[in-house]
Amino acid sequence: MCQDNPVLDKPCEGAFYLFSLASLILARFVPAAVLSFQWYTPEACLQFKEHFHAQVRTAFCNNPGMLKISKVVVVGDLYVGKTSLINRFCKDNFDRDYKATIGVDFEIERFEIIGVPYNLQIWDTAGQEKFKCIASAYYRGAEVIITVFDLADIQTLDHTKQWLEDALRENEPDSSFIFLVGTKKDLVSDAVCERTELEAIRFAKEMQAEYWSVSAKTGENVKEFFSRVAALAFEQSMIKELENTPGHRAQIGEGNFIKLEKNIVEVPEDNTQVSLSCC
Amino acid sequence: MAAATALGPKATPGESGSPAASALSMERIQSLTDLADLEAAYTRLCEEEKVVQEELDALLEQQSTIENKMVALHRMGPNLQLIEGDAQQLAGMITFTCNLAENVSSKVRQLDLAKNRLYQAIQRADDILDLKFCMDGVQTALRNEDYEQAAAHIHRYLSLDKSVIELSRQGKEGGIIDANLKLLQEAEQRLKTIVTEKFDTAMKQGDLPQVERFFKIFPLLGLHEEGLSKFSEYLCKQVANKAEENLQLVMGTDMSDRRAAVIFADTLTLLFEGIARIVETHQPIVETYYGPGRLYTLIKHLQVECDRQVEKVVDKFIKERDYHRQFQQVQNSMMRSSSAEKIEPRELDPILTEVTLMNARSELYLRFIKRRIIADFEVGDAMASEEVKQEHQKYLDKLLNNCLLSCTMQELIGYYITMEEYFMRETVNKAVAMDSYEKGQLTSSMVDDVFYIVKKCIGRALSSSSIDCLCAMINHSTTELESDFREVLYNKLKQGFPATTFQDFQRGVTSAVNIMHSSLQQGKFDTKGIESTDEAKQSFLVTLNNVEVCSENIMTLKKTLESDCSKLLSQGFGGEQAQAKIESCLSDMAAVSNKFRDLLQEGLNELNSTAIKPQVKPWINLFLSVSHNIEEEEFSDYEANDPWVQQFIVNLEQQMTEFKAGLSPVIYDTLTGLMTSLIAIELEKVLLKSTFSRLGGLQFDKELRSLIAYLTTVTTWTIRDKFARLSQMATILNLERVTEILDYWGPNSGPLTWRLTPAEVRQVLALRIDFRSEDIKRLRL
Repeated sequence: MCQDNPVLDKPCEGAFYLFSLASLILARFVPAAVLSFQWYTPEACLQFKEHFHAQVRTAFCNNPGMLKISKVVVVGDLYVGKTSLINRFCKDNFDRDYKATIGVDFEIERFEIIGVPYNLQIWDTAGQEKFKCIASAYYRGAEVIITVFDLADIQTLDHTKQWLEDALRENEPDSSFIFLVGTKKDLVSDAVCERTELEAIRFAKEMQAEYWSVSAKTGENVKEFFSRVAALAFEQSMIKELENTPGHRAQIGEGNFIKLEKNIVEVPEDNTQVSLSCC
Repeated sequence: MAAATALGPKATPGESGSPAASALSMERIQSLTDLADLEAAYTRLCEEEKVVQEELDALLEQQSTIENKMVALHRMGPNLQLIEGDAQQLAGMITFTCNLAENVSSKVRQLDLAKNRLYQAIQRADDILDLKFCMDGVQTALRNEDYEQAAAHIHRYLSLDKSVIELSRQGKEGGIIDANLKLLQEAEQRLKTIVTEKFDTAMKQGDLPQVERFFKIFPLLGLHEEGLSKFSEYLCKQVANKAEENLQLVMGTDMSDRRAAVIFADTLTLLFEGIARIVETHQPIVETYYGPGRLYTLIKHLQVECDRQVEKVVDKFIKERDYHRQFQQVQNSMMRSSSAEKIEPRELDPILTEVTLMNARSELYLRFIKRRIIADFEVGDAMASEEVKQEHQKYLDKLLNNCLLSCTMQELIGYYITMEEYFMRETVNKAVAMDSYEKGQLTSSMVDDVFYIVKKCIGRALSSSSIDCLCAMINHSTTELESDFREVLYNKLKQGFPATTFQDFQRGVTSAVNIMHSSLQQGKFDTKGIESTDEAKQSFLVTLNNVEVCSENIMTLKKTLESDCSKLLSQGFGGEQAQAKIESCLSDMAAVSNKFRDLLQEGLNELNSTAIKPQVKPWINLFLSVSHNIEEEEFSDYEANDPWVQQFIVNLEQQMTEFKAGLSPVIYDTLTGLMTSLIAIELEKVLLKSTFSRLGGLQFDKELRSLIAYLTTVTTWTIRDKFARLSQMATILNLERVTEILDYWGPNSGPLTWRLTPAEVRQVLALRIDFRSEDIKRLRL
């Protein structure tokens, strides 16, 4: 399946970054993340495509300057590390002290994917039951739902189904990507982790979610995970945009149209390299 | 040959200076046997002699000069001796001066040292005197119960250099001092106990001056923390007493009292105001006697009591107002569909108001203490490092976020949001059910009602001053408008606009059946049924207006909320991300406005295709029955008795008046826009089915002009563009010859942009019966 891509002629194993940091990256974007299409485990994975939909690729050359925002909602039991996960990604720090989230926290992570400014709007909800009323008001319109559980506490995995159900109720069916994330990977031994992962992957399949194991404390897989989220959400929102636009295009007359030669400028498509950078 | 080589070097005159090298060695001469050799040696020796002679002469010539020089040197001898002596003397003097200087400066240094020591000694003496004075003073002061004086002495003692004390013990009078020190330490301990005791007694008696008096003494004894905690204990007790009193008052309040509905919010207000006043009054004392940066400690202690009292008030509130039970009922009501078991939303109104008011008060109070503590830390941390500042910020955040007050309020607000959502949904449903329409109005009552309700609910959430609460309610409102309310309007539009003409009789029937069907299904809506088509028409048009107003109202609501929120934020409420949160939620809300716009467009398309198209199309088709293959006579006859266009315009006018009266200007405009497009397209179709003579072309041109002139008067938009193709067709039909088209085509087109393709141009040209098809084919376009 990777034949058409020279970079991928090697067998598809291990970490391969299809959209790796290219020469395109602008120097002013200092902490650059790498947008990757790499999944965590093929057993529970939303899609296997290795690059953006062709339409999307042309679209981001044709539409510079339009800002896309995707809403991400993070749910899960209390003390599983939702806030820590987000803080590791957005601020690259880790606070040992547990501080319960009250209501909702909110972070915006800014990206620019070849000229298209792109924001991930991350809503971090409270896990405590007593704050659920307020948190649930924020589930609507979520492009991505991240259900989080604690790898060291198997019970929290059981609760993810309920969390997901609550979040889906406020959204149109099949309008959101779902991720299942196991946190605190550093706290469990490899053997335990493997065992829990098997169980989690089973859950993920049922939930039609993509599974990831991460550690906010060590930062393991956190960047990779959010890159995957950003890549999928970005593509989705671009496709949606493209589906919507033709309907509104005014058509005057049916005469000779000026045909635009679509000479796409300098997109290294053969490398399929896309830079994703945090501003 | 060998001899020649051996002699070689001797030939050089420069080397002949030294006798050993110059002469041929004696052995050599003695060994000479050959005459020739001897002669040669002789000549050589003679030459050498000559050279030596010359050299000697030269040296002898120099003799006098050398002698002169020698004499001069001899004369200089004694002078040199003098110089040597002088130099030695100078050296001696310099050494002496140096020593002298060294001597002097070392004396100065010693003097300096001595002075310093003297000062130190004086200092120590002073300190020792002070110490003695303190020792005596403390005793006297204690005896006189002058605790301030005693504390001042102790403070002096504590601030003394410990080494002084150590030193003074080593002195001759060490023993006495030792004893005195012991006394002093005892006195310190005694004073501490006394002050603590006295403070406690004063506290028990509620004697504020005494409390303050001893509060001021604590820092002098180095007991800052203890002083603050004791003092706050006293303040807490006051807070508690006052709160208790207030709570008692609440229980005794008459239900008819003006403030009865918000009595718990009032109680909280009193509590917060009380604490604020305490902070206000005592902050100067703390600052003066404890130094800056201590306010945090005081407030931290006070917050504990505040939390305790808030808990009491909130517990009472929950019990008295049946808050949890009401919440349960709301939750149950949300599950059920039958209205009989549902809780009446109006009953929730007062409690919702009270909760938001309570939260607003808490936010106000928290903002107050936040500001005070930040200001106090700023003074204290002016010189501190970044880490200390961050540490302090962390303390503050922890105090504000983790206090029970915050958590309790958050919980109340959580319940509130669910209840408010229920209130909004149910009231909106009621407004929809009670929808009424008055003749002469464009919209029906429910739009105004629904937006009044949504505004009220969001406004109430806003009045809680909690950004999270506000955003949650904005989200709920967005959902309510987007799903439920839009659905109501959508269903109304789905019923369609009943057509009236005979051709559409059948369609009218099906749509009537649809109406009956959906009314039966929905039960609560339109139970009256739609008796007449007129009413159905009216209902459709009103719904269109409703949709448009909704879309506009949402934008207005968004703008109002934006300015309200910026006011709230400028007052310092909300965290760092508050602005972004609100923006995000409001932009979601604005997106719903577009959805209503899309719905309006759908409705208009429906209206256009069910009401306008079926009417307009036959009218346009009449064009076909009017021959445009005419001669002079018919042309002038047409001029007198218009065959088609006038009637068409009259028909259009009649039809549009109905819509003009029933639709808002904006919708009417869009509708006429749709209609003109429709006319242009349909007319083009019939045009291509007709045939034209030269005069027929002229006739069509006239007709088109009057039609465009009429349509221009009814639309505010420019319609020229929509009729551009038709106008160009009319131009073609008006040509004298086929080739005349070339005067307008291609490079001759001038400012005219052709909307017709070459094929279309040919097609239109072919409509003229007097144009030969060969000519048209031959055209090079």
